[in-house]
Amino acid sequence: MIKLKIVLEHSYYPNYFAIEDIIATQEKAPCKFLVNIPKLGKLNAASEEDDLKAGTSLELPVWLVQQLASGRQPLVTIDLPKSYKPAYREILKADATAVDLHKFGLYFYELGCHIAQFDNQGDVREILVHTFTTRFKQLMDLADNIGLDPSAIDKLDMLERKLFKDGNLARNLLNNWLNNSIIPMGAATMVVNHRKRKRINVE
Amino acid sequence: MLGEKAYSLVKELEDRQCEILPYNTDLVTEIATEIVHLYDQNHQDVRLEDSRTPGTSTNLMPTVRMRHAAIQRNQRCLLAYHYNRLRLLRQMRWEFGSILPTELKENLSAAENGWFNKYSTILGKYMRSIGENGGLNLAVDLKPPKALFIEVRCLVDYGKLELNDGTNVLLKKNSQHFLPRSECEELIRRGILQHIAN
Amino acid sequence: MNPDDIEFIAENELVQVISNFNSPVIALIKGNVGPFRAGLTTHVPLWLAVNLRQRRQCKIVPPSWMNVDDLEECKTREKNLRIFTKMPSDHYIEVAKLLLDCSSDDIPQADEIRTIIKDIWDIRMAKIRNSVNSLIKNSSSFAALDNLTMFEINSMMPLVPACLSQIMRLKKPPRGLNTQSQFPSSILINTTNTTNSL
Repeated sequence: MIKLKIVLEHSYYPNYFAIEDIIATQEKAPCKFLVNIPKLGKLNAASEEDDLKAGTSLELPVWLVQQLASGRQPLVTIDLPKSYKPAYREILKADATAVDLHKFGLYFYELGCHIAQFDNQGDVREILVHTFTTRFKQLMDLADNIGLDPSAIDKLDMLERKLFKDGNLARNLLNNWLNNSIIPMGAATMVVNHRKRKRINVE
Repeated sequence: MLGEKAYSLVKELEDRQCEILPYNTDLVTEIATEIVHLYDQNHQDVRLEDSRTPGTSTNLMPTVRMRHAAIQRNQRCLLAYHYNRLRLLRQMRWEFGSILPTELKENLSAAENGWFNKYSTILGKYMRSIGENGGLNLAVDLKPPKALFIEVRCLVDYGKLELNDGTNVLLKKNSQHFLPRSECEELIRRGILQHIAN
Repeated sequence: MNPDDIEFIAENELVQVISNFNSPVIALIKGNVGPFRAGLTTHVPLWLAVNLRQRRQCKIVPPSWMNVDDLEECKTREKNLRIFTKMPSDHYIEVAKLLLDCSSDDIPQADEIRTIIKDIWDIRMAKIRNSVNSLIKNSSSFAALDNLTMFEINSMMPLVPACLSQIMRLKKPPRGLNTQSQFPSSILINTTNTTNSL
């Protein structure tokens, strides 16, 4: 039971209040309007008209696109953002470990999950799983401080970073335990951070 | 763009899971105004739509749908902002104790301040009600204790500390003491004492 | 769990000590210990053994498996087999660490023992990492953990289970989850600090 609890604690799952999910859904996806949208012409910076015309192509945040593209009468059709298009999928298939995922998209997996809803072939989902499982070894090595090249951390997307952070913290606690006989009690994390910031402000 | 303000409000919380920033009253008000504005426009257009004969003039429903999506987005961001700040506040009660450093207290809204005090009171009352002999302090013994007494160094000029047995200890900066663990763990957590192993 | 927590659990393991004092049976929450007769062996929980040893009131009798020959054999077996072999104690690493740290004088060839145990640990950790990697790479849904100790299993926390959960999430979209419009009917502030954060 105890182990189960830990699993649940450490697995991110997006919910209504999740900051990460809100930020990830602000990423943009290309879409094309199927109908006229009266009065909202200002959303298209390239046009002076009052109405947003059918046929207009725009990049809109995913949270909005999701609402407009779903339902019985979709207002837009959605296209894949470039990181999920076939050309980029090929790069990931060739060698996902060599890719700087941070550059592919800060929220590569999060955005991918949202985008996958509109990809009926399932190619997006497949590449997400492939990328994650292929890159796992690297993530585990980083978290365990094996083959130290800290610059590799910069190449992780936000989900991988979170997993790395928690994993690395636990690993350091473990190594600390193995190497020291008495581990002193420390100040609370927030207290330590507060002190540090205060010192920076003073300087 | 729709929802931009709400996004920047939530963005304030990113990477700041350990720090409470000043409550952004201005932005919160602006977003609330934006919601009201969008709602009013929708209200108007829906009325127009009701009186329209099908097939004539423009269909306003797509516009209403888009605005409605923006309202929901703004609402989600506002709620997430407040909810996540409360989570942080609750954690602060456990890490700083019932009295917050002034600089941090100033960052709270009036409502948040009230919430913190109430939470603190309820928690205190609960801890006093469990266990025997006047309660159980749940904020100590976070790690299995190894020894009854520990060696500590004082990091700040704290003043007098009265121990349970009635003796007084003067905690001066850089002074070292051998104290009952149970009575100094909280001071260690608050960064006043430093635990010296060995 | 933190290593400290598992150490705490391991401290219930019984070890033999030779006390240098006399005492009748002592009643403790977890059960009785003693009686103690100077010069005679008694079984006590590990935590008490460490405590008595630190106060120089006993000598530790090393557990039967804690000798160079048995451990070397254990190491060879571990190295030659692909599977995990059974360890002489379910808490071998914790017991060894606690005993070697407090009473290396009482244990013959303590340094050698320390090295062999470290070797065994390293071999087993390498095996765990390999099998975890193939577990994830082949998208298998389960793994047998036979003969792994609690401490070893815990060494993969939280990374491995968290990654497995993420893979599950990437594979299967939660049907009907629409975070935009879904507003929870009751808002509970979670008890953990991490649930909600990426």
